[in-house]
Amino acid sequence: MTGWQSLWLAAGIAGFAPAGASTLEVRLSNSSGQAVEDAAVVLELPSGTPPLRQARAVIQQQDREFMPYLTIVQTGTSVEFPNRDPFKHHIYSFSAAKTFEIKLYAGKPEKPVVFDKPGKVVLGCNIHDWMEAYVLVVDTPYFAKTGSDGHARLDKVPPGEYIMRVWHPRLQADLAVRNITLGQTPISLALQASIPPRVSRPKSPINGDSY
Amino acid sequence: MTFSSLRNRITVIFVGLLGLVMALILIAVNRSGEHIISAELERELSAGAKIFERLVKQNQNQLETTAAVLSADFGFREAIATQDQPTILSVLRNHGSRIGARVMMVATLDGNVIADTQHPSAAPRPLPFSDLLGVAETQGRSSGFAPMADGRLYQLVVVPVQAPVRIAWVVMGFPVDDQWTQEFSAMSGLKVSIVRSAAQPVMLASSLPDELRADLVAGFDQMRQFQPQTLSLAGQHYQTLALPLGQHAVVVLQRQVEESEAPFLALQKMLWAILVGGVAVFILGSVWLAQRIARPVSRLAEAAQRLEGGDYAGPIHITSRDEIGQLATGFDRMRERIAEREQRILKLAYADTLTGLPNRTKFLEELARLTPETPAAIAVANLDRFRLINDALGHAVGDRLLIEVSRRLDAMPGRPGLLARLGGDEFAFLLPATDAEGASQFAKRLLTVLREPVLLDGQRLDVDASMGIAFFPTDENNAAILLRRAELAMYTAKKQQRGFALASASDVSQPPEQLSLIGEMRDALARNEFTVFYQPLLDLRSGTVNAVEALIRWQHPERGLVPPIRFIPFAEQTGFIREITPWLVATVMTQAATWRASGLELAPSINISAVDLLNIGLVEMVKHHLASHNMPPEMLCLEITESALMEDPELALEHLSQLAACGVQLAVDDYGAGQASLAYVKTLPVHKLKIDQLFVRSLAESGKDAAIVRSTIALGHALGLQVVAEGVETEADLLWLREAGCDYAQGYWIAKPMPSDQLPNWLSAWKLPAMTEQTTPASGMI
Repeated sequence: MTGWQSLWLAAGIAGFAPAGASTLEVRLSNSSGQAVEDAAVVLELPSGTPPLRQARAVIQQQDREFMPYLTIVQTGTSVEFPNRDPFKHHIYSFSAAKTFEIKLYAGKPEKPVVFDKPGKVVLGCNIHDWMEAYVLVVDTPYFAKTGSDGHARLDKVPPGEYIMRVWHPRLQADLAVRNITLGQTPISLALQASIPPRVSRPKSPINGDSY
Repeated sequence: MTFSSLRNRITVIFVGLLGLVMALILIAVNRSGEHIISAELERELSAGAKIFERLVKQNQNQLETTAAVLSADFGFREAIATQDQPTILSVLRNHGSRIGARVMMVATLDGNVIADTQHPSAAPRPLPFSDLLGVAETQGRSSGFAPMADGRLYQLVVVPVQAPVRIAWVVMGFPVDDQWTQEFSAMSGLKVSIVRSAAQPVMLASSLPDELRADLVAGFDQMRQFQPQTLSLAGQHYQTLALPLGQHAVVVLQRQVEESEAPFLALQKMLWAILVGGVAVFILGSVWLAQRIARPVSRLAEAAQRLEGGDYAGPIHITSRDEIGQLATGFDRMRERIAEREQRILKLAYADTLTGLPNRTKFLEELARLTPETPAAIAVANLDRFRLINDALGHAVGDRLLIEVSRRLDAMPGRPGLLARLGGDEFAFLLPATDAEGASQFAKRLLTVLREPVLLDGQRLDVDASMGIAFFPTDENNAAILLRRAELAMYTAKKQQRGFALASASDVSQPPEQLSLIGEMRDALARNEFTVFYQPLLDLRSGTVNAVEALIRWQHPERGLVPPIRFIPFAEQTGFIREITPWLVATVMTQAATWRASGLELAPSINISAVDLLNIGLVEMVKHHLASHNMPPEMLCLEITESALMEDPELALEHLSQLAACGVQLAVDDYGAGQASLAYVKTLPVHKLKIDQLFVRSLAESGKDAAIVRSTIALGHALGLQVVAEGVETEADLLWLREAGCDYAQGYWIAKPMPSDQLPNWLSAWKLPAMTEQTTPASGMI
């Protein structure tokens, strides 16, 4: 497996909480202690069907970039791809979880794209080679991604046993897969992993070109 | 010939210099040519290497660009993402054929080839160039050279397919074959060969023709990478540079040396042609020039030779105005000047400086030119008493006198022939075709001319002359002897105060052999050919012989005994007597000493000439000999003739006085035949008078002679002198003389002059027959 993991449980694993909401906080940093953004923390039910949360996601194209970089959606979620740029984009993905393309459009496409299979989807733009974004489709409504401070907070999670997966787009495999039991007490986890930095590929200059 | 060598020298020097310069040029061109060629080769190789690298890069860029375009193609990416192999292959082919790439592959991220246009239906297999792949993974893309399964080398690029992240690799490539190398060769101008470096090097591709490839492979092991070196392929030389090509191969870049050399060889050939042509032209040119220089010079040399030989005629015809022309002009002027000067010198040589008349040399020359067909008379004139005038009035006056005389002589009317001044106060005339009568007339005219007194500074100078005339060829053939005879005739005329005399008529006739005798005298003295004879003097009172007269004789090897009359006068005239007399004195004294030693007391008498008498060293010489022979001065008697005394009476008197003061006896010889005056004789410190034989010889017959002799005896006795009679030839003479009271007698009747060795015998044998009648007191010397 690619990637390193070291798992470290802080004190505070308490007993079971009564029925209510649990909270999981994960903080991810890389080997030099810096916060790692855009890591997905997912709590999967070991069995059974999870409740479906009808949610919508939006991945916009602005300044010739996908925003956000990582989007986590539950299977079946529709994702909209509004084009906020003054020129057209041609979005595509060849990922097995969702192969689609939206050719040369401006503004908002008529229909959102439904991601109906779990898995990792890589998005690209045919016109702008450097544009990339990820969509992680999961079978659970309980997920969060780390922000710029490296924190991800999962709230109102029914206590119980879960499988926690932590994944980063720049890693092939999950960087952590753990059984975790959530109770009354919130759990904070601090994880460390060696994540390759985001390579910003050169953008062609905007002046003189109008594509 | 000296001039051909001058011409040759000029030619050789010019041509040699040209050859030297051309040789230097050739050498320099050669050297620099070699440098240039090798620098050129190096430059071409390095330029070619750079071009090669650039072309390889260009190829690579082209591959990368095409592969990049391909890998960005949406349909292609979609085909790869969806594993649509046919589509992948068709897109690969489409793009690859645009640039002629033979290798077109797609590989997965883990290095498996999933599409290969060369093997379209092959199963996935690993990419055969893992090193290229490794580089591509770290650096994003890679390019290089790698061999493939078919053993050939390919130029490859590996480019990622991004969708949008890397999903696959595209590999594109060109085969490195002969076409590939030929394209490079055409563009770089070098021969390109690709050799796989292995234990056995293999030529993978080359732009060389087949026959050279084997040699290249053979020489492959000697090649050092990055270092240019020379390789020989099939006899031709290639400057070679080997560079690595990827990890598996070496590219060998070559430039044929002969190609680079070609322009220089052409230049060299041209230089040689110029050299040869130039040398030929130069030779011709310098020969011509040398000729132009040497010919006038040789003409000048010829002219110089002519000049040397005395030929002053003939100007030199050199008309050029260059330096040689100037030389010729100067030479010509010099020739004229030399001719002029020679004329002047000749004139001077033949002219007497004082009077301007022709001189002795000229006169003799003219004389020598006479032939029997051109008879002539020569007259020699001498001024009388010139020496007296010179001594009395000084040389300046004497010179002016001579000038005046010469002027007069020159101005003589009707003077035919040549007038010359022979020297001193002697003049000579050459009178062509003149007989004795004409010559005599001429002589009389001349003497008349000269008898006119000369007026100098108001002083009247009486000049008189004596002339001697001789005739060519009647008197003499030889010019010098003829002149001498004329001179002698002149002396005779002077002596006899006759004015002029003819040579034939003068007493002194000189047979030809006489003159050679004069020359031989000097040798004779050296060779002891002179000898002394002695004639006894008879003392008439005692009847004994106690004195002898020494007479010189010449024992000539050819002519026998030469009497003194034949050579003594000339000895006196030439002054040679001054060498004879001391010898005579020494010889005689030696002899007398010898006689004395053996008991014979004979007092010698020696004849002294005028020259001896006037010689300043006479007295010293006599004294010296007296001393060295230990002879009492009274035993020596010196005889001097009257005429000798009259030459310079004062000086004669001086010397005689000195001699007498020493004790030497003095006698006046040939008394009565000379010009001595009694008044003079009276003053002389002499002791004896010798009566000339003229008077004694005919004593018995001639009453006049007898009277003269008798009175001379009386005179002598009266003056206190002894009297000697010379030339006693008969007994009667002897008796007469004895009876007349003469003191001494000498003559053939008593004894002829005899050699010294005969004298003692004669003395012992001799008796005075008629002396028995008279007894003489005392003196008993035998």
